[in-house]
Amino acid sequence: MKKLSVDVVVIGGGATGAGVVRDVAMRGYSVAILDKADLGQGTTGRYHGLLHSGGRYVVSDPHSATECAEENEVVRRIQAHAVEDTGGLFVVTPDDDLDYSNGFAAAAAAAQVPCEELTIREALRREPRLNPGIKRAFAVRDASVDGWQLVWGAANDAKRHGAHILTYHRVTGMEVVDGSVRQVTAIDEKRGEEVQIDCNFVLNCAGPWAGQIAGMAGCEEVEVVPGRGIMIAMNHRLVNSVVNRCIYPADGDILVPVHTVSIIGTTDVKATDPDQLAIPRDEVQQMLDAGEALVPGFREARAVHAWSGARPLFKDPKVSASDTRHMTRGMKILEHDTRDGVNGILSIIGGKLTTYRLMAEHMVDIMEEKLGNQNECKTAEEIIPGNEDRKTYAVTHRLEEREHDRFEDQIICECELMSRGMITQLMTEQPTASFDDLRRQLRLGMGPCQGGFCSMRATGIAVEEQMVDVERSTELMRLFLKNRWIGLWPILNGDQVRQTALDNWIFHGTFDIEHLPQSEEEAL
Amino acid sequence: MTSHTAPIADSSLATSAQRSAAERVVVVGSGIAGLTAALTLARAGKPVTLVTKGIGGLQLSQGTIDVLGSRDGNYVPFAFDAFDGLPDSHPYRLIGKDAVLSGVETFARELGEGYFEGQAGVNALYPTAVGALRPTALVPASMAAGRAEVGRRMVIVGVRELKDYHPELIAGNLARTALPEGDPMDVRAASISLPAREGEVDSNPVMYARSMDRPEFRARFIAEVKKVIQPGEVVGVPAVLGLNDPTVHAEVEKGLGAEVFEIVSQPPCVPGMRMNQHLTVRLKELGVRIVLGAEVVGLQAHEGRVTGVDVRTAGRVRTLAAEAVIHCGGGFESGALAVDSHNRVSETLFDLPITATDATELIHGDYWGAPQPLFEVGVRVDEAMRILDAEGHPVYPNLFAAGGILAGAIRWHEKSGEGIALGSAHKAARTICEGDLS
Repeated sequence: MKKLSVDVVVIGGGATGAGVVRDVAMRGYSVAILDKADLGQGTTGRYHGLLHSGGRYVVSDPHSATECAEENEVVRRIQAHAVEDTGGLFVVTPDDDLDYSNGFAAAAAAAQVPCEELTIREALRREPRLNPGIKRAFAVRDASVDGWQLVWGAANDAKRHGAHILTYHRVTGMEVVDGSVRQVTAIDEKRGEEVQIDCNFVLNCAGPWAGQIAGMAGCEEVEVVPGRGIMIAMNHRLVNSVVNRCIYPADGDILVPVHTVSIIGTTDVKATDPDQLAIPRDEVQQMLDAGEALVPGFREARAVHAWSGARPLFKDPKVSASDTRHMTRGMKILEHDTRDGVNGILSIIGGKLTTYRLMAEHMVDIMEEKLGNQNECKTAEEIIPGNEDRKTYAVTHRLEEREHDRFEDQIICECELMSRGMITQLMTEQPTASFDDLRRQLRLGMGPCQGGFCSMRATGIAVEEQMVDVERSTELMRLFLKNRWIGLWPILNGDQVRQTALDNWIFHGTFDIEHLPQSEEEAL
Repeated sequence: MTSHTAPIADSSLATSAQRSAAERVVVVGSGIAGLTAALTLARAGKPVTLVTKGIGGLQLSQGTIDVLGSRDGNYVPFAFDAFDGLPDSHPYRLIGKDAVLSGVETFARELGEGYFEGQAGVNALYPTAVGALRPTALVPASMAAGRAEVGRRMVIVGVRELKDYHPELIAGNLARTALPEGDPMDVRAASISLPAREGEVDSNPVMYARSMDRPEFRARFIAEVKKVIQPGEVVGVPAVLGLNDPTVHAEVEKGLGAEVFEIVSQPPCVPGMRMNQHLTVRLKELGVRIVLGAEVVGLQAHEGRVTGVDVRTAGRVRTLAAEAVIHCGGGFESGALAVDSHNRVSETLFDLPITATDATELIHGDYWGAPQPLFEVGVRVDEAMRILDAEGHPVYPNLFAAGGILAGAIRWHEKSGEGIALGSAHKAARTICEGDLS
């Protein structure tokens, strides 16, 4: 058994938890963050990659719009490398009426969201693939953001301030002594070891799983309903700016260029289990139709991958009229001392990735108030190390890097221009990582071939570099292929069918992976 | 099933030029099926036009001749013995053992005495690039020493500049894989560093094979490999032992004083390219007209018979007159079969009737579960390899199919791609040669 003692335990390694652990660590507390899987593997990693300008909320929720606009600038400043300054457009398609757009510019101005109406001609000049029948277009400061880089950036900054980053640590229980949470127990899934962490405070940032966590501390009826949404990555940057439909927020209304792909999203359907999220075919069809409205010919483009994420939607039977301190709408911070009579624990539910830092600030402020402390929050001012040059990401960055190192290094993933040096370095830093863990940070297997060519290379390199033995490496390859397929089969059409046939020829035909020795237990 | 709604023009206005050229057989596609069908026809004295959009699939293959290596994940020791147990929908039920034997024989004969080792009906196991033991029937001589046998000592030698070949992975998995007859082989890994071109750290296998064609380079290769092997070891190397020079393998064996075998990794497959090159030269010698870069987009028919094939080439569509047509366009991997964004499956050249048209229920989410039924979809044929409609009647008496387009088998799963291609190509070509086009 492993034992640890910290001031604060943060549960949940999504954007919220990463923002919280950074803030807590920067205010001088000792802190550990736990996630049952990898950082950014839940809701944070399963969204469309939009850093909101606030434009989406100017009419429905002006307060959130203003916060988004402000935090958009903060994230660009503190984490420039995770952000691509794509800009965004709100367009009225031929299928939409003009009512919503008539109030749009005025609402944006009122919410202090920068916005400028463009001529149709200018909008089509910026985005030539856009539906030429659009009726109006507004430019906003949307950007795209790599959720995994954002989370790892914040977590690594927390680590520099002394935080423990404990991924693949599944929380199994909490000990409440005299009405206060005093200990968190967890299982280190990769080592199969029990971990006991003594603490004075728990910050529950488990998103769709927050109800389960709160229940472990005896806080009842924290009902979090997963709102499932699917997203589809198309194999090209069909647009280079974020394109929003200028209508009241609805399904399939955003197309976001992220790295080498563009992502259409999303649906919103109540789910029962955040660990079992389907990608229904009718929703796939709905997204393809939505894409077609924005970019004619969308259906002929190549869908490379789909996924499903769960928004945490909170239904609180105990909510009281005096509960007014929650400054961000769509987000709730539960004070379990007054709510449930359990001290030393707060839960945060809901929110937006764009405002992750601000949400963290609110939560840590409340914790400090409970603890009787008052340290300054510096998360908006201090640039996350590595981003000092303040240069935002560009899709050509990796090409530039490969041009510099092409005589010294091999390209392991041609689709995403990932080098051998990149993967061996991360394997050294995170020796228990699965290939999916590596993927989230390096984009291994995320291009059109979906791992067809790079996953065997990664398998070989992992053995060569003695990161793992041949048995584990082979199991990691099996697991990676299985996981890639989860996001492939629901959207399998067009050239991706052809690609799958080729990949199957390689893995089943040429390599005959079916006849490899197989371990009894699946790798983690 | 769809009714046959192909974009076929009933060209009652066939020109005299078309009629005079109508003696030719048009073979569509230049994979192993297309090449073999064209060779068989040409050897029988038929004028042949081979139309192909790109270079065929041999260069994407694993370089061996599979007949039937695996059923439900279990090794099949004798392929033909397993034919009777195949479902009625399997192409081998129509092709039959004799046609497979003849097809394989034709193919092997065209490549020359001693090119292959093994027998069509007998499988042996050979190491793959991830260290699995793969069943196949015939292998090129350059792979033959890799045959898995109890008591064998192997060293898998990697070249650091080739990123698709990882000797520790191959050796590690082979060393923990028991042979059907008993213990695992004694296998270890070793590596050399030898850039194909000065300063090149990331070499393509084709580039590497070209370098191996040069005597001075392969002398350096032999010298480097010699440093890492021990007496009595069989030496496994990446499949880069020469592209154009057929003596490289023998010379490397001689230089090392050891048995040497090639292991094919992901494409491009150099042994497949060698075969492709060899057979293409043969076709040209036999006077086969090869039309490259030509996409087949439709058929012409007159009085219930195919009279020509429409090809899009050089910015226009033109018609190649045809006495008979063999569709060797391959399956989903080549684009001859496709699924659109509404999950509709179709045959893309002629919009032929296929065994299923809705992909929705043919794909499931369990990667390691049962093979995906989608990849069994294709055209149905009769015993003569004539393409059939939904009612089981030939679409045209002179329209045939061979290879990957045939329904009923997931070739990568059961290791049957070449056997089906060669057997069906043989049958279709024989039917045409025998003049049975009515």
